Amino acid sequence: MNLDWSVVAAHRGVLAAATGMTILLTVATMAIAVPCGIVVASVRLYAWAPLRAMATAYVELFRNLPLILLVYWAFYVLPIATDVGLSPFATGLAALALNVTAYNAETFRAGIGSIRRGQLEAAMALGMSRTQAVRRIVLPQAVRRILPVLASTWVSLFKDTSLVSVIAVPELAYVAMQIRAQTFRVLEMLTAMAAIYWLLGYPQAKLVDWIQRRYAVTE
Amino acid sequence: MSRRAKESGATIIRYRGVVKRYGAFEALSGVDLDVHAGEVVCLIGPSGSGKSTLLRCTNALETIDGGAIEFEGAELPRDERALREVRRRMGMVFQSFELFPHLTALHNVAEGPRTVLQARRAEAENRARAMLAKVGLSDKATNYPAALSGGQQQRVAIARALAMEPDVMLFDEPTSALDPETIGEVLSVMKALADEGMTMVVVTHEMTFARRVGDWVAVFDAGRIVEQGPPRQIFDAPTTERTRDFLSHLGWHGETL
Repeated sequence: MNLDWSVVAAHRGVLAAATGMTILLTVATMAIAVPCGIVVASVRLYAWAPLRAMATAYVELFRNLPLILLVYWAFYVLPIATDVGLSPFATGLAALALNVTAYNAETFRAGIGSIRRGQLEAAMALGMSRTQAVRRIVLPQAVRRILPVLASTWVSLFKDTSLVSVIAVPELAYVAMQIRAQTFRVLEMLTAMAAIYWLLGYPQAKLVDWIQRRYAVTE
Repeated sequence: MSRRAKESGATIIRYRGVVKRYGAFEALSGVDLDVHAGEVVCLIGPSGSGKSTLLRCTNALETIDGGAIEFEGAELPRDERALREVRRRMGMVFQSFELFPHLTALHNVAEGPRTVLQARRAEAENRARAMLAKVGLSDKATNYPAALSGGQQQRVAIARALAMEPDVMLFDEPTSALDPETIGEVLSVMKALADEGMTMVVVTHEMTFARRVGDWVAVFDAGRIVEQGPPRQIFDAPTTERTRDFLSHLGWHGETL
């Protein structure tokens, strides 16, 4: 077999930019999906029943749809339905954030649910409001407990950003596939892509493991 | 001599026909009891007799289904904000400590003043240090709860409650989860608090504590108070069969210490 790795070096500039886009998508999605996940989880746990039902419906809808379908749907249906034309980047980000928020909401809900009721009572017995007790006492413990799950979600998301390549967001998968199509260097480009994803993903996973060890709460 | 026998202060907490149900089960079936200022009232009785439930109704961690609980002459408010102020004035100590595991001992005690009283950090931490000193744990300020013994954790929990400058302290079986060798240190902190004149309602299985420190003892059985009176009456001359049964089941045959 005749391999020519120079194709990777020749496109290093665009590959680097595409990698940057992949990282940006991951960070931006999480930046939306973590706070939104907390909000949705809190609504499901503490809010007025009709709101709670809406939050549940949201989670069950977006958690059970294939992400790629969500991406296509946001790209083709949303503009027709709402007359709002978003850029491919914004569309991809919206689809990812909707999906990951649903997962994070479940993660936070499980984390909050794992904190003994006595903790909330002890905080309220001091005179805290329920909101203060959740924010100051329950949530910090829950977050520490679910860090490993959030970390796996993060790493999954990092890889799943490749799905928005179907709507031409210039992230790593899309750009690598473009180069492959132009140069016919399939094996080289797929291998380069795999190497970049792995080299970036592995340290992220290790970093979060470290954070988890560092901030774990022992009882 | 019991404080009530000497001269009791004003009534701080008054329970009138308090009823609490969990579904079909009636946990409290009409409880009447007065707690006076400066008094230590001990609630004793078999497990499941309703004494912890009454304590948890006192600061509205549980709502009641009948009767009334008055705090300083006013019925417990339903309004959330007013209720928080009442809770602030009633310190509570739990059987399972319920220290906040993600905070050091110092920050456990400073958390209430910081969040509820909106004290500045330095002020809250100074107060927390003073409270830790009071329970004899100045040297453990930077320890997390996991690095403390059960007795130490419960003393931090007492300091945490005291940091809110409560008018009443509620103790829910404060020594039941402790190893025998650490029970004494918690009881002596409680005794010191009683000697300072703190009003205390104590659910306990420590009969010696109830006998020596209590001013008034209420014996619970099946959701009712079957007998109440000064400890001398309850322990030395119980008037009801239920009290005698309960005490003899515990192996109480007069004071052992």
